[in-house]
Amino acid sequence: MKLKKKTALLASFTMGALLLATTALADIASKSGYEELKDAIKLTAERGSEAFDSFTLDFSMAMKDNGKTLMSGNETKKFDRKTGATESLSSNVNLNGYTNSSQTYSDTKTMIRVSESDPTYYVTEFSKEREIESFNNPFKEEEAADVEKIIDAIVGSLKDHVVITEKDDGSKEINGSLTEVQIPALVNAVASFQLKQEFNGNHNQSNMPKLVKDVFVKQVTGTAKVNKDGVLESILGIAVLSGKDEQGAIHEISVDALITVTDINSTTVTKPDLTGKKVVRHLERDYSGSEISNPEKYLGKFKNDILIEKDGKFVKIGERIIDITHIDTIKVTGQYHEEFKPGFEEYATNTSELSFSAEFIKDQRGNANFEYTTKSGVKGQGNIYFDDYQGKINFNGMNTSYEGGLMFDSTFSPDLD
Amino acid sequence: MVVFQAALLNELEKLYKKKKVLVGILLSLAVIVIGQLVIVGVRSGFGLRGTGSVEFPMLVLSVVVNTILPLFTALVTIDSFSGEFTQNSMRITLTRPVSRFKVYTAKIMAIVLFILGALLLLLVFSLLAGFIFNTNSATLDSLGRTVFSYLVSLFPMTVLALAIALLANILRSGIAVFFVSILTFLGLTVLSVLFSQYSGLFLTTHLDWYNLFLVNSFPLLKILRQFLIMLGYGIMFFTAGFYIFDKKEF
Repeated sequence: MKLKKKTALLASFTMGALLLATTALADIASKSGYEELKDAIKLTAERGSEAFDSFTLDFSMAMKDNGKTLMSGNETKKFDRKTGATESLSSNVNLNGYTNSSQTYSDTKTMIRVSESDPTYYVTEFSKEREIESFNNPFKEEEAADVEKIIDAIVGSLKDHVVITEKDDGSKEINGSLTEVQIPALVNAVASFQLKQEFNGNHNQSNMPKLVKDVFVKQVTGTAKVNKDGVLESILGIAVLSGKDEQGAIHEISVDALITVTDINSTTVTKPDLTGKKVVRHLERDYSGSEISNPEKYLGKFKNDILIEKDGKFVKIGERIIDITHIDTIKVTGQYHEEFKPGFEEYATNTSELSFSAEFIKDQRGNANFEYTTKSGVKGQGNIYFDDYQGKINFNGMNTSYEGGLMFDSTFSPDLD
Repeated sequence: MVVFQAALLNELEKLYKKKKVLVGILLSLAVIVIGQLVIVGVRSGFGLRGTGSVEFPMLVLSVVVNTILPLFTALVTIDSFSGEFTQNSMRITLTRPVSRFKVYTAKIMAIVLFILGALLLLLVFSLLAGFIFNTNSATLDSLGRTVFSYLVSLFPMTVLALAIALLANILRSGIAVFFVSILTFLGLTVLSVLFSQYSGLFLTTHLDWYNLFLVNSFPLLKILRQFLIMLGYGIMFFTAGFYIFDKKEF
């Protein structure tokens, strides 16, 4: 009897352990729809940044209020990874009912832009061949793994709502649907609060209904299609927000978004034909380098006015003049002096005439610190900055006294007269 | 069977006489009241709906199933075993002509009934509060899912009770059992966040398994796997717990 009980207990324990172990293994091995979706997104991002020579990405969205379209947008982007050319066509209807559409083309040497409201083709030609940042794989970033873990944790039990169906041709359809009972109350509250704030923000003139009461996320659904290579072909997402406006009328605002990837390896990006069109061309300077381009353009005089405030007016009492005598990408030398109009000579200080020589700080485009020597031999320190955007020089170092209503200005414009 | 019934009645009577059960029930009701107040506050303050009539019971369940319910399951289980060990009243129970197996089963059964009672009480009151204070959003489907969610939560809670019963038989002191349980619970919760791909194996994630019954597509395979895992745990905990209980000398 004693032995029998022991055997029964042992058998029962072993059975429990076996049951646990086998199902646990099956559970770990089984790939949920959520995992499959993650894999498909990763694979698509990887292929898009490395393997596909060309593809077309289409993004469209629409926002509807009880079925009436409030706004919509469509953007088609064609990528050619081999030549670095991209083309994008977009058309939008905004919340005020205005439509606009535009077309952009860009490759390593040019960028062309045209819009519906202005039929002029704006062509930008680049002096240097640009390095086009092709589509970057976000999963290759350092933080990607951690971010994925955080998202997994947030998604939590909602993972189980993702269902996958396999088709005969090897492609898959991934579906997810959440209605109000299934959305955790806290998530729903936070999301609806966010959306409510966003919608009621500053769209006073628009035809967007103002939701003030009983706002909640009614439904969220998503469908993704994965082709037989495991690459995402389309993602469709629909979210429905319900709420009441001030009059108590119920509004159901739905947002649909659809992203499709088509014409993989068969997309051709064509440069718009400019013959017979109104074209405005300009040469784009390269601002991205760590050194100023064509530094010799800064040779010569730069000046600004010395002003004082007197009897409620600005009075010009002279000029500050910088004379750049030598400049290259490494070094700059020159003189600075102030010229006062007759009768105002007493405003001159000991730094009213000085010479300087500076070396550009590495990787700080056009920025240099210098040591100057005044006419009387006193040394001091200052800073000079060549501003390529404005074509001006910023010069600091001379005494800045505001005595006698003197104004101080460190910006110098080229003296071209 | 008559003997078992008598033992069960005996255990239920003991449970019923304890203040802990009353406190547990009061706290559960407090969760409903506080939850409803928060929802009303959110609604008038932020203009959000908060929850509808059926979502409110789900909100209550999601809070209770991870906090008060496991806590009181632990307290009642510890009381039923460690309490009697230390008070030496276990001797009295065992002098009756009832086998130890029946005593152990009756104790577990009484705890399960306590959990079931708590769940039903929560269900009824949160549904009532849901319907009285919230805009009606009920459909037959969502109502059915809500009721079902409450009922299936009994299962993981029972497994939890079995695990604590095992612990109570290993460790003598009730306080030790309580703290070990709490620490394990917290540990498992953290682990299931860190290793989310293995989270299906942890007892703490099973507490939320009612969510599976809410999924539109009804993931039968996943539910079955979770059920079998819990069953495996349950059998192991019960057998091991009973083995130690059987060997114990009082």
